[in-house]
Amino acid sequence: MGKEELFKQAMDAIISSDLKKAEEIAKKAIGEGIDPMELMSRGFRVGITRIGDLFERGEMFLPELIRSAEVMKSVSELIISALPEESREKSGVVLIGTVQGDIHDIGKILVASLLKANGFEVHDVGHDVSVETFIEKAQELNVDIIGSSALLTTTMKYQKDLEGELKRRDLRDRFKTMVGGAPVTQRWADRIGADAYGEDATDAVRRAFELLGKS
Amino acid sequence: MKKYRTRKGDGSFIELNENELKAELEQGTSDAADRGKISPLSKEELQYLFELFTYPSKFISVEMGNEVILSYDAATLKVRRVGVSTHRIQSLQVYEKLLGADMLEFDHVDYSIKPVKPIITFEQPELEQALLVTTLPLYYGAQPNLGLYNQPDGPCPNPGELYAAGKISEAQDSQEKAVEYAVSDMVQVGSEMYESGADGINFDTTGAAGDTDFLATLKAVEILRKKFPDMCIEVGMAGEFILGMHGGLSYDDVRLAGLYPHKQIELAQKAGVSIFGPVCNTKTDRSIPWNSARAVTYIKECVKNSKIPIHANMGMGVGGLPMVDHPPTDVVSRASKAMVEITRLDGL
Ligand code: B12
Repeated sequence: MGKEELFKQAMDAIISSDLKKAEEIAKKAIGEGIDPMELMSRGFRVGITRIGDLFERGEMFLPELIRSAEVMKSVSELIISALPEESREKSGVVLIGTVQGDIHDIGKILVASLLKANGFEVHDVGHDVSVETFIEKAQELNVDIIGSSALLTTTMKYQKDLEGELKRRDLRDRFKTMVGGAPVTQRWADRIGADAYGEDATDAVRRAFELLGKS
Repeated sequence: MKKYRTRKGDGSFIELNENELKAELEQGTSDAADRGKISPLSKEELQYLFELFTYPSKFISVEMGNEVILSYDAATLKVRRVGVSTHRIQSLQVYEKLLGADMLEFDHVDYSIKPVKPIITFEQPELEQALLVTTLPLYYGAQPNLGLYNQPDGPCPNPGELYAAGKISEAQDSQEKAVEYAVSDMVQVGSEMYESGADGINFDTTGAAGDTDFLATLKAVEILRKKFPDMCIEVGMAGEFILGMHGGLSYDDVRLAGLYPHKQIELAQKAGVSIFGPVCNTKTDRSIPWNSARAVTYIKECVKNSKIPIHANMGMGVGGLPMVDHPPTDVVSRASKAMVEITRLDGL
């Protein structure tokens, strides 16, 4: 079987959340000497991105997304174990939460599952989270990225406060920040000085990779 | 080339030339057509939208004779939400006597069915007072808000946490339990407020917690319709398609997850809804012409498929309007005129 065909099968295995098939493909590819990272980025990850897109269009639902994300997780572990010790690194560590005064968490849950499915270690701190908690947890868990979700025009300001507070505490350069939520835009991210804006869950994954220089 | 001033979905100004504006309108309608698997707007309709968005006046309106019903959900909240401290009844009077509202909704600041249940005996006399000083049809309304039945707010294990732990069937079972609780509360609140004299009941932001929310609403409507054959029941939606948070729920053998407005209306009608309020969500990063063309495309198909009155949601972040607390009149009036004159709906 050609490399391209294998990548396509890897993608299909994720879309149909077929764990057995996904593992078979991963083992086969590794046995044939295919670069595991290429299999990941051009095969499995294409599948999970497609799942995210289908969810955004109402053509795929949360249980399927979760099932595919689980398959993705198992397969990522398999692939990581096939990598030489020195290149076995996680995609990155992300802290995510919905800002203070805001209880909208559906979008945030989706972003968190897709990030996890892409190999990120994700710490979801829930909703109605104060700036103080965001910062404390980020330090405690030594995360790379702080992601905040705001669904109300009245709570977006906490994303700005988070930027300010990080600066005030001389921590701004220690973390990358990423913002999202329906009223949030690239323009808002630029205005408050956030490092990235993610339009939806797939975009959030893309941006997270970019932030860590792994796109 | 001449530039036309319009806005983006976050309310900020942008300027587009003729080609750019036309491209936005075409892309907006094809996005809706593609997602909803429905027809895009015709060339004539797109040309009409182009004229609306290039018309030099700040404010435009429908042609005489094309006026529609103006109904306001969450009417007792909106005046106070922007910091004007009025009593609920005064808010209704402002809408009726100053703003020309045709239908209004009386509601509690929590605006969810579950918290209303324990205070219903306080809500009833206030509604009665409101009915005495208004003449228009007055609903009692609240959101089904199924999230409130999950821990820590309610009795059901939190599906978000169960999903995160990979416990899919447990998450689904929990959501099904929440549907039962919600149906019972919706029937109770709906019945008691109707019996206190409300002209109708409005279930607003239906589907906010996904397919479970929509199922609970349809079931509650079915029961209320049997109990009160003449009751006016409005159902307003939360989003353009039903999020599949459960994924496996159906009503009348139709899977709920992923239904777009033209399919939602069919089930709403079957359940016994009197007035339906479809939604199209605004993308804040795209232009208002794009958003408006997209919203009109969805709602047009919904109106076409409906035998009952359609009152589309037009407000902050829905119906093609920017997601800001005070959507500006330039785009509100354009998007509203487009919605009314292209879709031929019954109310906003
Ligand atoms: C569901 C919902 C609710 C549910 C929330 C349930 C829950 N557990 O989340 C309930 C009913 C409880 C609710 C309550 C309220 N809501 Co509400 N709600 C919505 C609704 C209909 C959908 C939101 C949603 O889940 N969308 C689906 C998900 C998948 O999309 P998403 O959240 O946008 O997330 C995606 C992206 O934004 C992005 N993203 C999200 N977060 C992040 C984070 C990062 C880091 C990144 C990169 C990306 C990212 O990726 C996600 C996946 O694609 C919106 C309408 C809308 N257009 O958004 C209103 C809306 C947000 N709500 C609104 C309002 C006003 C309220 C209330 C104040 C109403 C009231 N009086 O009760 C309360 C506020 C409660 C509070 N304090 O937070 C307004 C906000 C308007 C404004 N000017 O801010 C909206 C726009 C509706 C409207 N037009 O009136 N709501």
